[in-house]
Amino acid sequence: MSSTRDERVDNALQQLLERLVPPQQPPETPSHADQRWDEANELARDLLDREREPGVADDVNQAADLINRRLVREGDGRPERASRFGGLYSRLLAQPVLGQKWGILYFLWRVSEGQGVDGHEIDARASVDGAVRVGRGDGEQEDEDGDEHNGEEEEEAVFDEAFARNGLPRVPKVKGSGSPRHSPMHKSSLKLPPALPVPLIALLHSLAEPSLLYRSLSEFVESSEGGLVGQSLRSAIGQELRSYLGLVATLEGQIRRALAQLDDSLPHAGLGKAGVTLKRCVIWTREATLGLRLMSMVVESTKGKKGGELISLIHNLATSHGDAFVYTFAERLLASITRPFYNMLRAWIYDGELEDPYREFFVSENTDYEDSGATSVWENKYLLKDAMIPSIVTPDFAQRVYLIGKSLNFIRYGCHDSAWVESYSKEASRELKYGDTANLGQSIDEAYKTVMARLIWLMETKFALAEHLAALKKYLLLGQGDFIALLMESLASNLDRPANSQYRHTLTAQLEHAIRNSNAQFDSPDVLRRLDARMLELSHGEIGWDVFTLEYRVDSPLDVIVTPWASKQYLKIFNFLWRVKRVEFALATTWRRVQTGARGVLGAVSDKLGADWKSARLGLAGMVHLVDQLQYYILFEVIEASWSGLQKAIQNPASGTVTLDTLISAHTAYLRSITRKGLLGGAGGVDFTAQLHELLKLMLNYRDAVDGLYSFSVAEFTKRQEMSARIETRTRAGRWGLTEADDDDDDAASAGNAKSKGAGRPRKGESFNESVAPSLLPLGGGGADGERNVLEQLRQRLRSLEVDFKARVNVLLGDLAYQPDVDMRFLGVVMNFNNVYSPARKRRPKVESHKPPAA
Amino acid sequence: MPAADDSKRKAARETIDILHEISTLLNTNLDRQSLSYCVSLIENGVNPEALAKLIKELRVQNARYEAERGGEAASVA
Repeated sequence: MSSTRDERVDNALQQLLERLVPPQQPPETPSHADQRWDEANELARDLLDREREPGVADDVNQAADLINRRLVREGDGRPERASRFGGLYSRLLAQPVLGQKWGILYFLWRVSEGQGVDGHEIDARASVDGAVRVGRGDGEQEDEDGDEHNGEEEEEAVFDEAFARNGLPRVPKVKGSGSPRHSPMHKSSLKLPPALPVPLIALLHSLAEPSLLYRSLSEFVESSEGGLVGQSLRSAIGQELRSYLGLVATLEGQIRRALAQLDDSLPHAGLGKAGVTLKRCVIWTREATLGLRLMSMVVESTKGKKGGELISLIHNLATSHGDAFVYTFAERLLASITRPFYNMLRAWIYDGELEDPYREFFVSENTDYEDSGATSVWENKYLLKDAMIPSIVTPDFAQRVYLIGKSLNFIRYGCHDSAWVESYSKEASRELKYGDTANLGQSIDEAYKTVMARLIWLMETKFALAEHLAALKKYLLLGQGDFIALLMESLASNLDRPANSQYRHTLTAQLEHAIRNSNAQFDSPDVLRRLDARMLELSHGEIGWDVFTLEYRVDSPLDVIVTPWASKQYLKIFNFLWRVKRVEFALATTWRRVQTGARGVLGAVSDKLGADWKSARLGLAGMVHLVDQLQYYILFEVIEASWSGLQKAIQNPASGTVTLDTLISAHTAYLRSITRKGLLGGAGGVDFTAQLHELLKLMLNYRDAVDGLYSFSVAEFTKRQEMSARIETRTRAGRWGLTEADDDDDDAASAGNAKSKGAGRPRKGESFNESVAPSLLPLGGGGADGERNVLEQLRQRLRSLEVDFKARVNVLLGDLAYQPDVDMRFLGVVMNFNNVYSPARKRRPKVESHKPPAA
Repeated sequence: MPAADDSKRKAARETIDILHEISTLLNTNLDRQSLSYCVSLIENGVNPEALAKLIKELRVQNARYEAERGGEAASVA
């Protein structure tokens, strides 16, 4: 093969020489011509044998580039040459037959050298211009025409080379000592001697760029402010700078070698081989310059940023930059600067500890936090900072991470279960790294599931969350009917007294009594221990009913769920329910007395008071109905419904998704729905609470008035009995049953009866007071006028109370009818199922409706 | 195979055409024939740099010879 190759080469060479060497001309002797031929032949063999291998790397693009540049440069004003070459070149590239496209192009370029485009062969010597040559940086050219260089050129070349050597190591130190040409004036400026030729200055400018960048970057690397992420950014950049220095060192080695070669051979003969020129240096450092430029841009933009923001910034560069160079560079940076971040993440999700001395993590400790119970540990101890979430993680992911760490921390400090946390961290902990997204996501998911399950398990078993919630419902939301009834009965007489005569020990004793005598006794002692009766703050003129309250103490860590806010809500609901219950109780007592009395005492005076009693009974029945409906609604429609909702939320079948936060929010929603639907919240701008309180107060007053009427009836009854007894004794004594004195009385009474259907012994206003016990003893004295007055007052009071009551109910119903909530509208319907009341439009209470109330 | 050969030759000719055009564009003063010899030399592994040098060298010699001859001719004349 090689022989055929050589043959072919020989053959082609001969042919070529034949064409190139001019044939024998007449004046020349044949021998002379032969000699010429032989010389040429020898030269050819000599040259071709001497340089077997090309002195420059073969790169088809480079050769094309060279040609193109020459065409552009020399064909000034005629760019069509270059474009024509471009077309030809691309056609050439498409040709399959040639193996050495580069070689041919290079050859052509070489041959064309020294020949102007205008076609005239130009004397090489004349065309040589030192400055231009150096500006072009064609080292090979110098080497090529080596013999023809004059002294001046030589100087230029050496200068070029020296410059390459001194200019390249762009470390300030080296520069400072090595080259007097570069006197560092300022950290971001460089002074070049003005004597240099302009193209050289331009080259040096582009060479100086990386050196200046390097200087500012190394300053940045040596500075030390900023957090862990900032420090790792510094170290990453430092590494990049080191590899840049490596490049500089290689270049320097190249230059040295070139210089050594220079010494060996002819001046300039070796320079081209070594191929180190300023221009080449610019090319070689181009990529590094890009890197440095990028770094300094990064450094500029990270000023004042730290932690997650910094990571986000660089990540942004990595994801949203189309340049592959920038992308890989940013990825490389990211891999190292995210390391501290992942360490923090790891400590956080496996130990629940925040190892973040510079506050760079997206979870931060709340500095305003004061240790005041579990709630604040959960809610306030740590904060999630949105700005610090690096864009390498999604907000959802960050939220999860935040929850995991918070839960771990809570398990450790709130639930005192650090043993579990430690064992968990030991077995689950693993290295987290940037780029390992799948693994990361998986570990987060696992950690999330494990931690949440553990937390929920702790809440349910160790801290008996469900039991306590049930107890709260039972006692504070009046779920345990027998207990409440008993408590009320035993406390009723006590609570009727003024608030300042209530004593806590009597209250607790009654509470104990109620517990012992109801089914509450079967509750667990832990629950009963927490139940307590106490008084709210006293204010003047209140009675026991107003200040009494039950309390259920919830301690850490359950107060994460039953927050102070929730306790307050429970208290509010309890007080309201307690009040309703009390009204119900009072109305029921009175109703019972009236009903039993109707068969005895009241029946006897029905001639005089029957009509009054009829209307009083109607009024009472209306109120009892209203209170019953209200109670039914709150206990069954509101509390029970919300309770089942809460149960559903807590015992979610997909137990993996239940977190402490869902528990808290479910419980909060539970209480909110109770207060809103239970007419305790200011739903839709309507203050139901105040309206209901007014109504309840009215009912109590009405009941007092009815009690007054009852007392009056009893007094009347006693009077009549006395009278008939007197008549009896007188008749028995043989006297007239009725004397004149009696007649006077009777006359007055009958006159009163005729006028106003009512009479009786006078009683003082005390009968209108809160006392339930009827004053059975008529107080004597006074006249029939006083008696009539009393009755009249009673009637008026009953009537006005009833009217007032109806008006208020109308307003309430009117408000209820326009509630968005179906249940509340339904309450209105139930209260007014037979259209006794005519609901008023909002804020425009109707005066009254004269329809008789119906139960 | 003649068809393949034919197409190959055609491609070679085309390549030479292109190269020739480039060479005239660059004013190498190489005719088509010389160019194709050069191409075949380079294709066979000859260093293009050396070849270029050779050609230039020969040209210089030719020029010198021409000058001599011209001088001789003048002196003869």
